[in-house]
Amino acid sequence: MCDWCMKHGAGGKWYLNARNYSYELAEAMNLQAYLEEQWKNFEQVYIRKIMGISSIGLGYKLRMPIIGRVIRRAVEGMIHSESKNRNPVRADGHFGQVIPIEEAKLIMLNLAAEPIIQNYCMCRLMQKGIKDVCCINFGVLSTVIEKLPRFIPENTKVRLSRDEAAAALEEQNRKGRVATVWFQPVPYICAICSCETPQCGGLRLRMDFGLHTVYKAEYYAEVNPDLCQGCKTCVASCQFGAIRFSPTLKRVLIDPTKCFGCGLCRDRCPHDAIRLLPRNENPLLRGKY
Amino acid sequence: MVKTKIVIDYSKCGNATGGIDPRQCSKCLQACDPAVFVRHMAFNVKEDNPYDPQYWQITPVWLSLCTHCGKCVKACPQKAITVSF
Ligand code: SF4
Ligand code: SF4
Ligand code: SF4
Ligand code: SF4
Repeated sequence: MCDWCMKHGAGGKWYLNARNYSYELAEAMNLQAYLEEQWKNFEQVYIRKIMGISSIGLGYKLRMPIIGRVIRRAVEGMIHSESKNRNPVRADGHFGQVIPIEEAKLIMLNLAAEPIIQNYCMCRLMQKGIKDVCCINFGVLSTVIEKLPRFIPENTKVRLSRDEAAAALEEQNRKGRVATVWFQPVPYICAICSCETPQCGGLRLRMDFGLHTVYKAEYYAEVNPDLCQGCKTCVASCQFGAIRFSPTLKRVLIDPTKCFGCGLCRDRCPHDAIRLLPRNENPLLRGKY
Repeated sequence: MVKTKIVIDYSKCGNATGGIDPRQCSKCLQACDPAVFVRHMAFNVKEDNPYDPQYWQITPVWLSLCTHCGKCVKACPQKAITVSF
């Protein structure tokens, strides 16, 4: 993601920079108190009025002439805020990016700060009332969430080893969930979620309102017409509506402009017909996150 | 612009306002495919503590995504939901 990798990637991808996971950074940003305040009332983030507006009826607000554009700019500014006096009652500086499963596992095995915990997906809990042990949090955020009983699974191991966390993400991938890595707040990284639209708050704001809460991955999917057998398994795995089966060609077509690069279609294809290619090496897709 | 209105009768649902605790029900959350509703802690019930994890309520947040299917209205055992324009 050009801007964020430039600023926080130390010459590579922002989420592969070890410094963004470190306790030194969390301490320098004074995150313990900030995250505690934010998570204590996590569910209210959509309900609260921030600068006089809340998310209630956001779709209508964004459609208003002029005011809609002002709101859009204000929300994008908030999501990407790097200002020192962040406000813990809103989602300041909280955004993420889709990553394929191999990178999610690499983060779990090498970069995430301990303790690593698994807890209920807050989005699924507040939007569907479903208790799903799914989110993997680490570093300072783990110690914050551990104190909030409503997010902590019963009769399940909460703290995980690196291997267990990587296996848990693999399991979510098999279920069909999209792995996403999160700044919270930028540039500190403390979570990998396994998202599903429309319940996921991040994907909701991106897919339904075009706000950049979740960026597309550094990759996009391409199908090899010689290998594809037209079994359609991949079509069912794509949450972004980027794949369709062509009865004429008897194979699938992937729309690279719609593809988020999650790799789920590739992971499910029984014939190894799909591969991920680097987004920035394609002139059409370069910089389009 | 036609806007959807969804009203929840908080005297029937919402345990800070005389209704049931939505955590024990949440049928509307499950019935709604576009996930219009959010279940959250009731706001400012006590002056000294704006977030009391004891009191919960439902708010229809993503109104523009409602498809008027009426499933939430049918699913609500308290008859607390009305959907209109
Ligand atoms: S899963 Fe693989 S073989 Fe099957 S339709 Fe998709 S690309 Fe083709
Ligand atoms: S086409 Fe494949 S990689 Fe792209 S968004 Fe869909 S499932 Fe993910
Ligand atoms: S009418 Fe249907 S779409 Fe609208 S809030 Fe109720 S269940 Fe959801
Ligand atoms: S279905 Fe009705 S009673 Fe149940 S949580 Fe929703 S609004 Fe409350």
